[in-house]
Amino acid sequence: MTHHLDASQFTQDQQFEADIVIIGSGAGGGIAAEQLAQAGFSVLLLEEGAYYTRDDFVMEERWAYPNLYQEGAARKTRDQAIGILQGRTVGGSTTVNWTTSIRTPKLTLDYWQSEFDLNFSGANELTPYFEKAEQRLNIQPWPVPPNGNNSVLQRGCQALGWEHTIISRNVNGCANLGYCGMGCPINGKQSMLVSTIPAALALGASLISRISVRKFSWQGGNITGIEAVPVDQHFQPRNDIRIGIRAKHYILAAGAIGSPAILLRSKVPNPSGRLGKHTYLHPSLISGALFAEEINGHAGAPQSIYSDQFVWPATDHIGYKLEAAPVHPVLMATKLLGTGEQHAALMQQFNRLQVTIALLRDGFHPQSQGGRVLLDSQQQPVLDYPITDYLWQGARRALLSMAELQFAAGARQVLPIHHDAKLYNSWREAKAAIDALPMQKYRQTVASAHVMGGCNMSVDPGKGVVNQQGRHHQLQNLSVFDGSILPTSLGANPQLTIYGMTWLNCQLLRSELTTA
Amino acid sequence: MDRRQFILSGIALAAVASLGGTLSLYGWRQSLSADEHHRDLVLSAILPALLYGALPEDATLAAAELARTKAAINDFLPFLPLRQQQELHQLFNLLANRISRLGLTGHLTQLAGLSIPQRLALLNSWRDSYLGVLQQAYHGLRELLYGAYYGQPEHWQPLAYSAPRFR
Repeated sequence: MTHHLDASQFTQDQQFEADIVIIGSGAGGGIAAEQLAQAGFSVLLLEEGAYYTRDDFVMEERWAYPNLYQEGAARKTRDQAIGILQGRTVGGSTTVNWTTSIRTPKLTLDYWQSEFDLNFSGANELTPYFEKAEQRLNIQPWPVPPNGNNSVLQRGCQALGWEHTIISRNVNGCANLGYCGMGCPINGKQSMLVSTIPAALALGASLISRISVRKFSWQGGNITGIEAVPVDQHFQPRNDIRIGIRAKHYILAAGAIGSPAILLRSKVPNPSGRLGKHTYLHPSLISGALFAEEINGHAGAPQSIYSDQFVWPATDHIGYKLEAAPVHPVLMATKLLGTGEQHAALMQQFNRLQVTIALLRDGFHPQSQGGRVLLDSQQQPVLDYPITDYLWQGARRALLSMAELQFAAGARQVLPIHHDAKLYNSWREAKAAIDALPMQKYRQTVASAHVMGGCNMSVDPGKGVVNQQGRHHQLQNLSVFDGSILPTSLGANPQLTIYGMTWLNCQLLRSELTTA
Repeated sequence: MDRRQFILSGIALAAVASLGGTLSLYGWRQSLSADEHHRDLVLSAILPALLYGALPEDATLAAAELARTKAAINDFLPFLPLRQQQELHQLFNLLANRISRLGLTGHLTQLAGLSIPQRLALLNSWRDSYLGVLQQAYHGLRELLYGAYYGQPEHWQPLAYSAPRFR
């Protein structure tokens, strides 16, 4: 077969075979494809999205969101209280993310050890694999001065004495355009799309795009095959053609909503009861600020500074990471407040608008146990994620920190993105107002760009879906290599964690499969 | 819409919801399906209100922007999960329907018969409703409609925004 097939072009039922089939071409699937193709296995990589490349990336949200994101970038939790940005294209979210690359925080690994017996030291030390991924994807601290949006974060932190760090980015030849979220038009971003996937294809791996895996067949302790269908031009699963795939080993890397959904549809053994549960989002709050000068938050690397000042509080409160978010017309229009003239007036301040976000570190507290992936009547996944009082308290503190930071950086006015908020003229005024905002779903805007968990790792099969190597506890020839295996959120953007962990787990898998 | 009307709407909506089985006898079973006429009717009423202050004053230009936005909405909808598409179809169908106008709007007049401030007051009353379904309708429509309008480069002039050109 040729290296790439578009399943939507199939006119009849199809059968494929390979040593290893990988479902999903994002951070996990992309790394695995290259590692396992290098080891000499025949690899078949499956992707629900399309195989778009740089010439398709026109830097317009109206094209990028429907074509490169899950559910047209309008994915929501079940009650529609949280919006979820997640990629669905060859390269997965790595094709559309904002390039922020952070190693797994040590405190997160420590928590996993205490709660799930996971030990990432000795032979399982992740550091060498972070180094390999950093080298492979040219991950380095961004040497260019931060753009207007990120400068505010930097200045605010400096003024207040808060911790802040220059972000490492996976770019090579980046032109500082600022359109990472719409697909890099110059292949500067070292996503899976331009790095490991072309390398795997050159080594003989095959890719099928626009294919939706519906379920696994399994018998006893083994997967026996995959049932899949093509998707239509709007990425909806079709039912006129069936695609069967068989392999010696199966790797699930469809993301923290997609992977549990396939396993739930397949009704695989689930003795821990945790399949599709404990799904985490880094629920994020947004704060806008108007400056006297132009910020031009659409131009330049979208994220180049973060602050960990509040990620690991000494108290029992939930921690949150502060970052900036790019300012593009659709992203802003859908998040800014009000209707009619009020909304139009805010949009006219577009170039003077700075946007700070706070990502809540969910999953580390009894009152933060995440969400649950369910299947709707079409058998498509929907995430139910209740927002607890514990999270709401963190949301309020996050809004306060962001307003304080923005005023410290010289903001004229601050606008917490909450539907009862308005533009505040001073930190004092904002503080009093934020203290009184009702923390309720819909009124308080919450968004997510990181989906984690649902197939969590645990040494004890009673407390997780897969073991530390990503191997399914009950199905022997199944590995899960994506963000779904994370037992909590990370408190950091997840791509580098998934790269490093998948790389390590691929080494263990390839030696096992080679000797078998 | 005043407070009393708003409460009446809620009661009427609850009544409509509880009558679901009965209403289906009158053809409401189809309310989950797309009806382009209903959608167009509702968008024609809501868009000029939501975009008040953003649309150009020139009527011809404004009409072109509205048409472009409606086309963008129609192009975008099929990318949503079928579950969400059905919810939106249902909302458009309900809003275009006389009985539900009592429920959702508290008005027996057609949506199009309301003034722009009345239409905005109606939308804002959904935002502040105690009914989750109306709050979802407010946020869902707002996101869909604003996203469609501001996705068009022709509408960016007031923002002084343009994407860089490099090829």
